[in-house]
Amino acid sequence: MNKKERVMRTLDHEEPDLVPMTEMSIDPGHLETITQTRFIGETSLQTPVSADRRAEMNRVATIVLAYRKLGFELIPCDLSAPDGWSSKKNPDSTMTDEWGRVLSYDSKCKTWVPTNSIFAIPEDFERFPFPDPHASGRTFAIAEMKKNIGDEMALAAFIRDPFAHAWEMFKITDFVRWFYEKPHFIRRVIERITDFNIEMIKQVADTKVDLIISGGDYSEKRGPFVPVRFFKDVIFPNLLRQVEAAHKAGLRFIKHSDGNLNPILDHLASIVDGLHSLDPTAGVNIGDVKLRYGDRLVLIGNVAVDSLCRKTKEEIVEETKECLRRAAPGGGYILSSSNSWYTDAKLENCLAMVDAGRRYGAYPINVP
Amino acid sequence: MGVDEVKSRVEMALAEKIPPFKIVQSMRQGLSTAGRKYEEGEYFLSELIMSGIMAQELSKMLRPYLQSSRDQVLGKVVIGTVKGDLHDIGKNLVSIMLSSAGFEIIDLGVDVSAEKFVGAVEKENPNIVAMSCLLTIAMDEMKRTIDELAEAEQRRKVKVLVGGRPITLDFAREIGADGYGSDAVEAVKAAMGALRK
Repeated sequence: MNKKERVMRTLDHEEPDLVPMTEMSIDPGHLETITQTRFIGETSLQTPVSADRRAEMNRVATIVLAYRKLGFELIPCDLSAPDGWSSKKNPDSTMTDEWGRVLSYDSKCKTWVPTNSIFAIPEDFERFPFPDPHASGRTFAIAEMKKNIGDEMALAAFIRDPFAHAWEMFKITDFVRWFYEKPHFIRRVIERITDFNIEMIKQVADTKVDLIISGGDYSEKRGPFVPVRFFKDVIFPNLLRQVEAAHKAGLRFIKHSDGNLNPILDHLASIVDGLHSLDPTAGVNIGDVKLRYGDRLVLIGNVAVDSLCRKTKEEIVEETKECLRRAAPGGGYILSSSNSWYTDAKLENCLAMVDAGRRYGAYPINVP
Repeated sequence: MGVDEVKSRVEMALAEKIPPFKIVQSMRQGLSTAGRKYEEGEYFLSELIMSGIMAQELSKMLRPYLQSSRDQVLGKVVIGTVKGDLHDIGKNLVSIMLSSAGFEIIDLGVDVSAEKFVGAVEKENPNIVAMSCLLTIAMDEMKRTIDELAEAEQRRKVKVLVGGRPITLDFAREIGADGYGSDAVEAVKAAMGALRK
């Protein structure tokens, strides 16, 4: 069974020969160590920050090389900035992206991080030139990655959830204020971003990706960011529209979110095909989720990112074994951390997780 | 209910000659209730933040009506995300909650060096220094800042609070901090507690 077949069988809730593995993202410093090459290009977990196609090609090549060296079966790739776009460089060394987010460069992590917003009042959004989903080049990196990997690995297109996208665009405090004072405005923004995403789903389907992963958090450690009724009224109907677009294109739809999802899990499980992260530090127990929803949800996770930062290799092996024991039997499980390999994760711990995944992840699962 | 509606209700209360300090007291009680309900899982984060935003706006509105600064300010807090870390969502939420609870906030922003914290303490003479971080690789900066405060003979003048995703009570104790908050509500409790020490 090849790597892609392993993932596809997993998505069908069947047991492959081995538990497949992936990471949603690996920070540039780790990519450089794993590949022994220099990372060229600019990156952010949240948004495209460069339309320099040569740099994009180098970035994609480095990621592919790293995922190959790690033996991963599933590789995610984000959308690109459109052809000819360039970020607005600000005098204070920040940049403004296509969505009005102001980003600062994190030299330790070698990534751009959202730190501000161009939107001071809701009217700023009305004057804002909303990104054109039909602008050419948005699938550049994904197409490049597909060209690079062919059918060697399964390819996931990484898009941004409209709710998370909106609160990141406006900053969480302004988002909250407008959420209560101008709920129709927030609803309309989420609907517009959903329309954008649906067009993106159609475009990435044409590049022959195998699934969609929707990034952006719904919850923090105590529970959902906003009242559950807003999920029912606005977030979930718009999520469903995206899932239906993906299904129409023959693609599965995986939702990523950190935080405590327990209060919205029932509803979420009736919409998406899988969940990524399953944040153990926020009280999400992968074994419980498997028991309750394992027949319909593919689970991706959940070796704690905090453990990768702080614990020993031996402890990581035990945590990985526990994930395999609870989530792998019956299929429908992909091993990964509970988010990404951040700069502050110890690479030796990340590699210990991969090693344990290979050692104990053979079906039928029988973890000592 | 939005901020404008709350403001107009406060205006009505002022017109009815309700003493401003009583309005502030009620507001702080309301904020405390919001914090408790959030901790108990009844309120969502958005509701907690909105309570903080409202209280912050009302504090600004009532400031001219209050007779002495003692009525207005519980204490002064110098706050920032430590050097090497640009993440500020948690720090900003703590700022809002502390400010709405009655603290004066001097927000140094993100990527704040130990030297900058020390400089702010010398200049602002705060009661509390509050440090935040998200990245574990930035945690050492908290210890460095505490050491620099001691070196500059400022440590005894201030209480030091720490928080952020990787921070634990054990870590706070280990580096010699005076308090720790695992979220914005706990940060306010820690700040109140620090003032009493």
